[in-house]
Amino acid sequence: MSHDEHARQGGLSNTLKVDTFTCVWCGLTVSTFAAEGIRREHCPSCLHSRHVTDHVEGGPSDCGARMTPIAIAVLRTGDWRVVHRCVRCDELTSDPVCADDNQLILMRIAVRPLAQPPFPLEAFGTL
Amino acid sequence: MPRRTSARDGGRSRPRRPQRHKDVPYRYGGHRERDFRCVGCRLDVPGQAPGTAHRNHCPHCLASLHVDDRVPGDRAASCRGRMEAFGLSVRPDGEWMLIHRCLACEELSANRIAGDDNVLALVRLALAPLRDPGVAGRVLLTL
Repeated sequence: MSHDEHARQGGLSNTLKVDTFTCVWCGLTVSTFAAEGIRREHCPSCLHSRHVTDHVEGGPSDCGARMTPIAIAVLRTGDWRVVHRCVRCDELTSDPVCADDNQLILMRIAVRPLAQPPFPLEAFGTL
Repeated sequence: MPRRTSARDGGRSRPRRPQRHKDVPYRYGGHRERDFRCVGCRLDVPGQAPGTAHRNHCPHCLASLHVDDRVPGDRAASCRGRMEAFGLSVRPDGEWMLIHRCLACEELSANRIAGDDNVLALVRLALAPLRDPGVAGRVLLTL
């Protein structure tokens, strides 16, 4: 039962309901409530996630496999999103980046395309 | 022109010669079956691309169309929304993968870049996380 449902049913309590999950990759116990007030979908330490939501048809997914971070995408607002891919069924999801996520891994994923360009980047000096 | 099967011809008519083999398949869309026109910049895009056998996006503006469901190429999606380039990921073998996001239903899909993709658009997309000083600056300061 979420906090909102608690309040609606009259059982208003001051205690914040703390929900945790264990990361399937590094084993860290993580609270699902991030500092920004959004729901945390991935581990802040290793950025791995778990395939629990079916994004094609909606609703819960019965896959439950690990999802690895593969890319950083930028919204028009300038916010970063982490793109995850399920290691079992190759489905892609994207989650917003939290403030306490591992900045080293975030920056490594963000600059990874520039480290391995498929064409020489020297040609851009003449443009 | 005399008719081929005339009653007077009788048994003199030769058996019909089979059609010669055509190199160009004219039927069912033919050799232009996988061509498409870009939804973003209206560029006529040929189906064959250098470096990939599964082209699904415009080489000029990198836009795509949401026609596939879970399996690439199944043409089972009923959305038909425009998909725009969302991010770049790198496979372990160093190949760049373009990640598209549907503007209508926010579904994501990945496709390998082709040899004739717009290099400027690709590098702009690769530099997009570093362009905005807000998040990138915060990340670099905390490292």
